[in-house]
Amino acid sequence: MLKQDYFSVFGLPRKLAIDTAELQRRFYALAREHHPDFHQAAPPEELARVEATSALVNTAYRTLRDPIARVDYLVRLEEGRTTREGAAEKPKAPPALLQEMFEIQEALAEAKTGALDAATRARLSAQREGLRARLKDEEARLGASLSARWDGAAPAERPAVLAALKEALATRAYLRTVIDDLAEALGEDEPSRREDKRVAHHRH
Amino acid sequence: MAYSDKVVDHYNNPRNVGSFGKETPGVGTGLVGAPECGDVMKLQIRVNLETGVIEDAKFKTFGCGSAIASSSLATEWLKGKTIDEAAKIKNTDIVNELKLPPVKIHCSVLAEDAIKAALADYKEKHASVPSGAASK
Repeated sequence: MLKQDYFSVFGLPRKLAIDTAELQRRFYALAREHHPDFHQAAPPEELARVEATSALVNTAYRTLRDPIARVDYLVRLEEGRTTREGAAEKPKAPPALLQEMFEIQEALAEAKTGALDAATRARLSAQREGLRARLKDEEARLGASLSARWDGAAPAERPAVLAALKEALATRAYLRTVIDDLAEALGEDEPSRREDKRVAHHRH
Repeated sequence: MAYSDKVVDHYNNPRNVGSFGKETPGVGTGLVGAPECGDVMKLQIRVNLETGVIEDAKFKTFGCGSAIASSSLATEWLKGKTIDEAAKIKNTDIVNELKLPPVKIHCSVLAEDAIKAALADYKEKHASVPSGAASK
């Protein structure tokens, strides 16, 4: 099992539409089967294997139950990568988006040089709300229409769908970063932020 | 994870922060981003149109310490180089100079991309000016 990808761990095809109730059932069954507590009497090498399998099952479940993490994983899997680093072909973020993100950051840096007055706070707040709405749309698109496109794509169409998935993931990353930075400037925590990114990429 | 002294130095005292007017003669602008983390980096060169030498370079980066240090270092290296010489700057040079750990290599890649984008923009806007005029 240790060499399997996350989809095959659960006996699933490499598709993005997943019945999460069924996924959970399979996870519980595998988690029980490979739980280290039930193998304490096994020889050390057997126990080590069980522990590794248990860890794999848990990571695989956490990844696949989240529709966005699932897409992110699929892209890496298709490209033969194990981490987010080293994409063979970098996703091209829409240039207009980059320009927009840069301008927001520049204005934010400018605003941060002084105390934020009420008008500035209101402006940044409104901006953040607008960006949050776009982030939600982008995530919905990733989890629904783009995922469905992948599942329905013939092999020849897959590279194009993969590129679209990567672009949407990139757009999401830019939006999340700028939303976070706005929240930080406003002195508010961003609830959408998952800690994995904070740890992986600490911004000072 | 600890940053190397050089990264900290560039982060605390970034060189050449700022911008040139995009349409100023001799200016090339590169705007790039790192989709892994949402960082954005703008790097600009100002080329002497007589000699083809990069006389000044500026950057603005919104990102982590390594991204800021990579672009700051890049602007230092660009000054005094011809367009052709500048094109030879590699991300691995930046990694070595700043002792970037593997998880931060994408920051150096970003800086190399920014250099390439700025050079490409310069060439596009100044198609009639010979590149590397001063290299021989």
